[in-house]
Amino acid sequence: MLLNLSLRNLFRQKRRNLMLGIAIGLGVTILIMASSFSRGIEDIMFNKIVTYVAGHVSVNMNEGLGKRVPVFRDKERLFSIIKKNVEQDAEIDESFGVFTRAIGNGKADNMILVAIDTSKRYTEERKKEVRESFNVIGGSLLDIGTSAVANAVILSRDRAESLNVKKNDVISIRFRNVFGQNQSERLTVVGVLQNDNIFMQGVMFCELKNVKAMMGYRPYECANIHIKIKDPKENAVRVADKIHSALTPGPAFIAGKLSYLSSESEVVVIPFRGDDDSIRLIGSSFELLDGKMDDVLLRDGVMISSNIADKLGVKPSSEVLISYNAKFEKERGSFKVQIKGVFKSDVYKGDNTIYMHEALFYPKFYDRIPDLDKERARVSLPEVLLSLPESTNKDRSNTFLPEDLNKKRASALGLTDQAYFKSALGNEWELLDRTRNTDEMRKKYAAQARKKIRATTMDVNSMYESASDVLKLESVLNIITLWAVLILFFIILIGVVNTLRMTIKERTREIGTIRAIGMQKRDVWGIFMIETSLLSLFASFAGTLFAFVLMWLLTLIRFNVTDNPLGILLVSNHLYFLPTFGSVLLNITLILVITVITAYFPARRAANLSSAEALRHYE
Amino acid sequence: MNIIEIKGLKKDYPLGKTTVNAVRGVDLNIEEGEFISIIGPSGSGKTTLLNVIGCIDTATEGSVKVGGAEITIMNDRALTDLRLHKIGFIFQTFNLIPVLDVIENVEFPLLLMKKHTKSEIRKRALKLIEEVGLKEHATHRPAELSGGQRQRVAIARALVTNPDIVLADEPTANLDSVTGAQILELMREMNKIENTTFIFSTHDEHVLKYANRVVKIKDGFIMEG
Repeated sequence: MLLNLSLRNLFRQKRRNLMLGIAIGLGVTILIMASSFSRGIEDIMFNKIVTYVAGHVSVNMNEGLGKRVPVFRDKERLFSIIKKNVEQDAEIDESFGVFTRAIGNGKADNMILVAIDTSKRYTEERKKEVRESFNVIGGSLLDIGTSAVANAVILSRDRAESLNVKKNDVISIRFRNVFGQNQSERLTVVGVLQNDNIFMQGVMFCELKNVKAMMGYRPYECANIHIKIKDPKENAVRVADKIHSALTPGPAFIAGKLSYLSSESEVVVIPFRGDDDSIRLIGSSFELLDGKMDDVLLRDGVMISSNIADKLGVKPSSEVLISYNAKFEKERGSFKVQIKGVFKSDVYKGDNTIYMHEALFYPKFYDRIPDLDKERARVSLPEVLLSLPESTNKDRSNTFLPEDLNKKRASALGLTDQAYFKSALGNEWELLDRTRNTDEMRKKYAAQARKKIRATTMDVNSMYESASDVLKLESVLNIITLWAVLILFFIILIGVVNTLRMTIKERTREIGTIRAIGMQKRDVWGIFMIETSLLSLFASFAGTLFAFVLMWLLTLIRFNVTDNPLGILLVSNHLYFLPTFGSVLLNITLILVITVITAYFPARRAANLSSAEALRHYE
Repeated sequence: MNIIEIKGLKKDYPLGKTTVNAVRGVDLNIEEGEFISIIGPSGSGKTTLLNVIGCIDTATEGSVKVGGAEITIMNDRALTDLRLHKIGFIFQTFNLIPVLDVIENVEFPLLLMKKHTKSEIRKRALKLIEEVGLKEHATHRPAELSGGQRQRVAIARALVTNPDIVLADEPTANLDSVTGAQILELMREMNKIENTTFIFSTHDEHVLKYANRVVKIKDGFIMEG
């Protein structure tokens, strides 16, 4: 009965309710369009741009101080660690960019050669997504996988123009390979990218395996890793943290044979860090029996334990040969070093050890990495590599703690003073701390540059750091949506309150009558609440329908955006809306809730009217 | 048997900064089945007295018993319930619900009672509509009816719940004399058929002939009856 009465009342003041309905409906339209547009952009950012620019989570390597070579020397190990820490359906890809000097037809320009792995099987859906994200005229980004031409590349239109090249032309590039040597290579243009957004400018895309071959990667080595995960907004930071934790490095060492003249001995070579704190720590922790500490601490500094020195007759300035089994190469790794000092060996520093400046150690170590797990089982390592319990190994990457802090830590662990120099020793790689945004990340890189780290740095980022500028756009859109909701709230508030006030005034005698006849207060309240809710519901449905029609019409318009960063908001030059059932339902519910809250008090006022007074009321 | 017992009823209400003493001490007993008219000039307290009897206004002082129940101590919920089950109202301006047609208006109080089936409600409403002579207009909206016809609908609505009392505040004031007379005839007839107590107020001395008892009220006091 209440529903019937409310429904009929709704059609009583047609014009007034129609106006209010239009206001609410338009509000719903704006809300749905804003949230669909925001979701569309979110989808473009999280599943298209961010995926190709940085991945939802990325693991980036940098080998060789100043060379910035993205290489990790044990692909299998890295992939295995990552796979253990992501969901099974996560996509793990190698990807990296190489700075090059490109020469086209009589023109030259700087470009970034971006390596993309197109060798895997792409689903039709993924192919479509690639086509939408990378608008290559007359082709697809996946064309770079062709073997019909040498080193197929697709480059952005602005660079094609600046190099004066077109499809099938050849570009020469100069770049520095993983060994730090300058190389040149010829690339064939197989397509020109029409996207003119900020991420596509100045880039050339080339098949990963081709770029890796050009760069001199060996089959067991890999470049930066981009990981695409499900629900990146929810999971990216968590997954990045998890991978980061799993990538805690162990100590670096080379276990092999030391040959001097005709004698040989087992030896463990350990790197010490070259930063000022570590150098001070090493200088104060070792007692030299022969040679000068100043020489040992230089970049070519090497000191040998007194035990081997005595056994083999090695003295400062002696040149010794160190050889060891490599993990991936059949040929043994070997290198010669000149001893600068002899230190007093003990249980911590080891009886058969050589300590070597990291600048000398890492190029040998990375060139032919030893199988450290196998070596750990084969040789007895000096106590210093084993002494700290596993729990402290975890924060070993928090390197370069002040000396006294290291002492405190060692003493807290019940170790002798000698043991604390462990923090001055090098690790397999240097894991950089996690950061939460681009600013923190930049600061971290600046700090890292100051430290002059010689070991390969490994950095785990989520999209929130690597693409936080892109993600800021989403926050802006969310703020716009929030404002739309607030404005809408006030429109509805004023509209509903005014309409109900007028309605109540007009129907005062009627309210008096139905109360006199015997309708309870809560039913009178119910009539007004149902009436407003019905109006809001009808208006919401109409608004939703209108929003969908409007969105459809807007997506038909083609925008020819050139040299405009806002081009990233488009998919194939069209606006992209992504309405979801959940969001539409949420928006309608939001409007209903606002309306009900707004109508509550006027409806209660109507219910509380005294019947006698209401019956006396004359319009 | 008295269906209404009023003792020392006073009703004041504020009017701007002053207080109006609408009823100043009324004692009145009304028996079941009476057809009683309350007469008095404008502002004499007729409507206030009817409102208090009809439980839509509260007494400032005194005791009012309706069907033996003291209404001055009841809460709003109980009073509303009492109105629904025991009292029918006929208003000077008819006060029909404009969005409902004749039959729906008559059915309305029964629907509020929530104790009859739809068919029972329809049957009862149709019977009353027929009794008030509006069978042909059952599906008309109030706006499509004349004043007299509207008041007939109001009478049917007032009687549909089988109330003990029907209160009619100047039921003929907005009608021409012929129609007014017809309405009073109808009320009298219903009083006889349904044995319902009818109390109606009027300031028109011509309608007094229909009443079997007349209560004269002036300045908030009962002068006669």
